[in-house]
Amino acid sequence: MAPTNQVLIKESSNVRTLILNRPKQLNALSLEMVSRLLEVFHAYEEDPNVKLIIMKGEGRAFCAGGDVASVVNDISKGSWKVGADFFSKEFTLNYLMATYTKPQVSFLRGIVMGGGAGVSIHGRFRVVTDNTVFAMPETALGLFPDVGASYYLSRLPGFFGEYVGLTGARLDGAEMLACGLATHFVPLEKLSLLEDALCKANTGDPTIISNIINEFSNKNPKFKEKSQYFRLKTIDRCFSRRTVEEIISALQKEADKNMDDWISWTIESLKKASPTSLKISLRSIREGRLEGVGQCLIREYRMVCTVMRGEVSRDFFEGCRALLLDKDKNPKWKPSKLEFVSKDMVDRYFAALDDKEWEDLKLPARSNLPSYAISKL
Amino acid sequence: MDRVNFRTQVLTRHLQTQIPTTDHLHTAPCLNYSPPELTEPSPNFDTKSLRKLLDGQNIEDIDYIFNLMIQSNLFCPRERGGKVFIAPDFNQSMEQQREMTMRRIDYLREKGAFDGWFEKKGYEGDLWRFALAESVSVFDHSLGIKLGVHFFLWGGAIRFMGTKRHHDKWYKPTETYEVKGCFAMTELGHGSNVRGIETITRYDASTGEFIINTPCESAQKYWIGGAANHATHTVVFSQLEINGVNQGVHAFIAQIRDGNGNICPNIRIADCGHKIGLNGVDNGRIWFDNLRIPRENLLNSVADVTPDGQYLSAIKDPDQRFAAFLAPLTSGRVTIAASAMNTTKVGLAIAIRYSLSRRAFSVRPNEPEVLLLDYPSHQRRLLPLLAKTYALSFASNHLKMIYVNRTPESIKTVHVVSSALKAVLTWHCMRTLQECREACGGQGLKTENHVGHLKSEYDVQLTFEGDNNVLMQQISKALLAEFLAAKKRNKPIKGLGLEHLNKPAPVIPTQLTSSTLRTSQFQTDIFRLRERDLLHRFVTEVSQRQAQGESKEHIFTVAYQIAEDLGRAFSDRLILQTYLDVEATVQAGALKSILGLMRSMYTTIVLEEDASFLRYGYLSTDNAAVVRKEVLKLCTELRPHALSLVSSFGIPDAFLAPIAFNWVDANAWSSV
Repeated sequence: MAPTNQVLIKESSNVRTLILNRPKQLNALSLEMVSRLLEVFHAYEEDPNVKLIIMKGEGRAFCAGGDVASVVNDISKGSWKVGADFFSKEFTLNYLMATYTKPQVSFLRGIVMGGGAGVSIHGRFRVVTDNTVFAMPETALGLFPDVGASYYLSRLPGFFGEYVGLTGARLDGAEMLACGLATHFVPLEKLSLLEDALCKANTGDPTIISNIINEFSNKNPKFKEKSQYFRLKTIDRCFSRRTVEEIISALQKEADKNMDDWISWTIESLKKASPTSLKISLRSIREGRLEGVGQCLIREYRMVCTVMRGEVSRDFFEGCRALLLDKDKNPKWKPSKLEFVSKDMVDRYFAALDDKEWEDLKLPARSNLPSYAISKL
Repeated sequence: MDRVNFRTQVLTRHLQTQIPTTDHLHTAPCLNYSPPELTEPSPNFDTKSLRKLLDGQNIEDIDYIFNLMIQSNLFCPRERGGKVFIAPDFNQSMEQQREMTMRRIDYLREKGAFDGWFEKKGYEGDLWRFALAESVSVFDHSLGIKLGVHFFLWGGAIRFMGTKRHHDKWYKPTETYEVKGCFAMTELGHGSNVRGIETITRYDASTGEFIINTPCESAQKYWIGGAANHATHTVVFSQLEINGVNQGVHAFIAQIRDGNGNICPNIRIADCGHKIGLNGVDNGRIWFDNLRIPRENLLNSVADVTPDGQYLSAIKDPDQRFAAFLAPLTSGRVTIAASAMNTTKVGLAIAIRYSLSRRAFSVRPNEPEVLLLDYPSHQRRLLPLLAKTYALSFASNHLKMIYVNRTPESIKTVHVVSSALKAVLTWHCMRTLQECREACGGQGLKTENHVGHLKSEYDVQLTFEGDNNVLMQQISKALLAEFLAAKKRNKPIKGLGLEHLNKPAPVIPTQLTSSTLRTSQFQTDIFRLRERDLLHRFVTEVSQRQAQGESKEHIFTVAYQIAEDLGRAFSDRLILQTYLDVEATVQAGALKSILGLMRSMYTTIVLEEDASFLRYGYLSTDNAAVVRKEVLKLCTELRPHALSLVSSFGIPDAFLAPIAFNWVDANAWSSV
């Protein structure tokens, strides 16, 4: 495909720096960007001149996610299958990164959300900094944490992943490091020095790379005073519950005992989110915990296609309307309440689509299948 | 990649042969781990649908419990070869293991895993309870048993043997573990023969109390799970003597520890000590020294004692009373059978995955070594057990369904089927684990690789809730009784799947072929023929001996050989039948084909292994040779599906073992 300026590539001997370059859209991933990244990642894997890939964003964000507004726009003009094409490319890219033979270092400056997490968290090194803001905000949009989030969220300590995935809670750099979403915390002012050092070292050896990043790292960045990370016990107690309804009632019990801003925000965010999204997200994370990353992506692809097809619920379109297009921030979910979302409805998101032209996501065969990527079922 | 590298090296060596060299011994290139997912064919059937046939509607319940266990440090997660595994730390002392079991239960309780234990009604409630108990056993047998004793035995006794007053009082504190229950049935001197227990209880009308006493050492309660450390209450099984008349075995509630864990007065407790396995369960011994308990503590569902000391029971016949009393406790056998299958799945998944990544010996020099599962002998060791595990798992589901749908009329069926399957499934489990242990070679000896260690953890299943040999003989007794009763009434025989006896005997082709062996018609015919013939032989032997004046009891003791053969024949025929029922629910396609293939493997291996087919002449020696050949063919045909079939078990990776994945990395110096 034609070169695009939406992804810039800097070459420095054996290091390639990929820069997401749509700063006005906070580097939201367009089909063009996803296609380009996929192409580049495929090519670099075969290219003996490439040893290390650095990913970063132009401007104040790393990446605010997939460009869902334009996906919705495309779907409204044509068929939901246009959207399917976008997600199939995006998820394939996520899989490639998760099973990549060469190290990827992502510099997570500013916003890292949704699809932005997908193009970084699966990589070997995730460097966060003072102004990093991470979130998987999909349930507020009528979607669910995709891009392999059911794999990486489910592997966070305790039931923190359920909390992050269902509420869309924002994490800062210190919290990301503590829970394992990030591998290193490097202060903002040292980021460009680190980048130079990595280019100068010109190596693909993960141990050396890790040592270099360590030199610039702050090992124990301080949590902010009211960090949700201090609430892990409550989070575990509530978000370990079997169903969304039980999670909410456990939170309400906590609130009855000891109401504070964090508890009320948590309950509020669950009440504002799409009920369908909450139910499918919880099940996705729970299933993802028992699967390899490839299976997670194949399942999420079924889910996202069912979402776009809009036969069970049209919440995704409503969410995009209310939050991205009309911006009235007042989505009318349908079904409107958790109790109206039946098990059969949820089941449909996890089943193959009954559409002759539709196929399960076909992931590329990999020469390298790290143990953690091996899937069952 | 491996192969490419290897070829390059071989080619290089070829090219180098022109250069004279004294180095005739080449070291082989270092072995790399290659995941079976990369080298094995991808499944040609939907593995999720197959798992659904195994775990039915409870998949989400099961996976939820797996989730809870994987996410807590109490379940000892450790990273080996890039993956996280959970398993108990068996290097801990017995006392530490017991405390850990209790802490894990506390954790599950805090998460609400047991909420609604007694409220959930109907068959859905039963299936949910089973799913819960089985999934914790996948982590650790001790955890499953400790939970099972409290909920199924203690809780089950309250539920089924007790009445409203017991339910009101004990359900809530049992669910929240304020009360920790145990179940004191077995004594030093009496196990399978419950009716012979010696603990004795009398009634004191002046105070309205029962007095429980351990009259001699052989009457001490033995193997009581939970009694040594944690239990606060127990159900006591005891002879009930009213006004000098023994009314048979009854069950009572007694407190054995106070809220602080101190042993109550008139109770003595000792430890059963270290065992060959299951050390996470605190088995203890209990003596009752004329312990007084309120009259209301008699579990009075079938019999009661009035305040003034009158014995009342709706069921006059003590035999029937005892049977009605114990019938609901069959749930224990249902969970044992199901857990045996889960453990078998764990063992097979580990051994088969290992055999798909470990190589040994080259066929020709300079060729890669051969994958273990590419050896026909290795296939013969593992693949029949794999097919059998599917067959027995379907049977285990069938048992569950007849249990949850039980009616007063079906009690006998539930009893017979649960006896048969508990025995057959647990034996299969132990045999499979032993084979898996050997198939994994030295790696099978490491505790972290499970297959070897599980043998000692699960050995007890052959004995508890009914010794397997005793159970097998009971089947034949029941079949005999059914047969004679039908004959006496001069009516066709009905129930237990014996209807085929009313038809003429099936005819087996004299010359068997490969294709005949694979038809469900032939398979059903020969299994029925064997059951029918053995039942007739058993009937004949019993009646001949009776005619010579021997007592029934004596006859059963001496005719055990044929009784056991018959028990096997009944079980195998039942298992085949349930398998065919499952197959019938699946639409034609790849899944149905693989199910058909495994059924043929199951039946053919039974024909090959059970001596009764040759012994009684259902198979000629020529046909036995055809059967033997067919086993090899079936192994070859199942071989490409081995990985997909163990993946369909649905046991999460975290519950398997390092040798099931990257065992090179797991053992690398960097991981030391």
